[in-house]
Amino acid sequence: MAEILRGRARSRQGLFREWIRTRTPANSWPALVGLAVFVAMLGLQQLIEPGTQRLLTSVFLFVALAQAWNIIGGYTGYASFGQVAFFGLGAYTVAVLMNSYHVSFWAALPVAVVVGVVFAVAIGVPLLRLRGHYFAIATLGAAEGAREVINNLTSVTGGGGGITIPTFGTDAPTPYFGKPGFYLAFLVLAAVSVALATVLARSRFGYSMVAVHEDEDAAGAIGINTTVVKVVAFGVSAAIVACAGAFYAFQQIEFYPTDVFDASFTVLMVIMVVIGGSGSVGGPLVGAVGLQLLSQFLRVNLGSFNQLIFGAIIVLVVVFFPQGVVIYVRDAWRTRHFSVLDNVRRYRL
Amino acid sequence: MSRFLQAAAYGVVQGGLLGLVAVGFSLVWGVMNVVNFSHGALAVAGAYVAWILNVRFGLDPFLAIPVVAVALFAFGYVVQRGLINLVINAPIFLTLLLTFGLNLVILNGLQLLFKADDRTIDTSYASQSFAIGAVNVPYGRLAACFLALGITVALALLMSRTRLGHAIGATGMDRGAARLMGIRARHIYAVTFGIAAALAGVAGTMIATVGSFNPTTTPGQLTLDAFVISVLGGLGNMYGALVGGLVLGIAESLGGLLLTGTWVNAIAMAVLIITLIIRPSGLIGKALYGGRVEV
Repeated sequence: MAEILRGRARSRQGLFREWIRTRTPANSWPALVGLAVFVAMLGLQQLIEPGTQRLLTSVFLFVALAQAWNIIGGYTGYASFGQVAFFGLGAYTVAVLMNSYHVSFWAALPVAVVVGVVFAVAIGVPLLRLRGHYFAIATLGAAEGAREVINNLTSVTGGGGGITIPTFGTDAPTPYFGKPGFYLAFLVLAAVSVALATVLARSRFGYSMVAVHEDEDAAGAIGINTTVVKVVAFGVSAAIVACAGAFYAFQQIEFYPTDVFDASFTVLMVIMVVIGGSGSVGGPLVGAVGLQLLSQFLRVNLGSFNQLIFGAIIVLVVVFFPQGVVIYVRDAWRTRHFSVLDNVRRYRL
Repeated sequence: MSRFLQAAAYGVVQGGLLGLVAVGFSLVWGVMNVVNFSHGALAVAGAYVAWILNVRFGLDPFLAIPVVAVALFAFGYVVQRGLINLVINAPIFLTLLLTFGLNLVILNGLQLLFKADDRTIDTSYASQSFAIGAVNVPYGRLAACFLALGITVALALLMSRTRLGHAIGATGMDRGAARLMGIRARHIYAVTFGIAAALAGVAGTMIATVGSFNPTTTPGQLTLDAFVISVLGGLGNMYGALVGGLVLGIAESLGGLLLTGTWVNAIAMAVLIITLIIRPSGLIGKALYGGRVEV
């Protein structure tokens, strides 16, 4: 993994010196802005009321999920519609370990990530040979299948009756974090996933992913091991999603297979990435924050019409900004060409 | 033994119906490379049209079929011409996303109009059945199954014998070449989507006659079934959709008899994935548009 990221072997010290030497304002602003936003979010936590805190916690969750989907769906170009499988597996691993074996959350978390990655590699090796819609459908099927297996392994998982994590009293392996704790946990998760995506996108491995996306046969021809690139990208994505699922499980305390294997998680990830702009770090970030705040706004203000309007907004954004809002703004800024109508013509028949 | 025969008979009539749901889905996917997430929603919309005609005017659902088909065809034509054609050249998940948004709009629109209650179209014959030996066959389901068969055959003939069918097939195989031959691709795509929507509406009407439907759970289930069947049958292959529907219908009803809980769903997904890995062109024959490179 490190080998792939770095390209060729170099001593760690030399690498660090070179990294310091090559810092310029142009290439260090993302890190500085990211750090500033992170600190601002920490400060914001002291000011806001519990309701807003819960909303922002869910925003952070979706930032992490959208970044994870973007690695396999955006950069590598394999639109997975089964990412929720890793979410559910992460959630159930933590819940089963904490409930039945009284393992502490911090010990169960790495196990959940490993379970997610192992499942990703197991289904990734055969399924990543499929392209386009076929891959999308196969992963959708894999997620549905995973849910049914969890649903029917009643002796281990509690089946359709759901599962509860002990969180209070002497029975609890790890004390409950509470709202402020989960705000912090999901903030860190979101920050780590954004940082990981940024590093990955600028690494040799990131360029391999883009090459596979652009033309898989040509990528293979210039010596990229496309199978390894695809499976590793799928695994990294699964690791983030499983980690998010683990935190989500602990936050929810009690949940059912239909909750954590809900296909709408996957669909939301895809929507956020595509509407923000896939294949960029900013896209999923903007998409996740924007859409989560928008859907909350609609839910509060429009009542029973909120889903209808939400769907209509998705349709309009897809038609007017097919390449994603962030990429539209970036290209428009570079070319000084702001016409939305020209943008609509882009993919028209 | 008779339980098995009964389950198999139920599976066959149910499978025919599922095949009709999937035919349009498969056609759109095969010809335009669009996975239509709103297919189940269109089926339920058709069911509501027939339901209104039945409740308001007492029209028999089988007689309501032409009205449903025309209404849904018009809707589908406009949707394709005005919306999906705008992003038809975009990466695959954009069309998925567009139809997903459309799905939300249709479903929530229906829910606001008709509430989320379970509905069914009542007829005098739907609950009656006749017996062959120990096996009971309900009239309604049998008629629906035969109708599905007839429509599938008619569609296959349309595709193979008429100018319109040839134009649809040609556009599906190579759009650029088809346009050079003077085929108006925008119109052909819109007609294709219209046909698919009409077939979905007819299938929804039949489902409403032999069972019940609601705007919250039925559409998702139908779309998922259509997915599985299209993959099993091969894209754009009419008879393939019918065979896929029968396979799924029989597998589900026999599985329901043999397996406990919801294991049968897991089996269906396993069959789907294995088919995709081993034989992506479907179970029977070779896929109509298998030669095209998917991007």
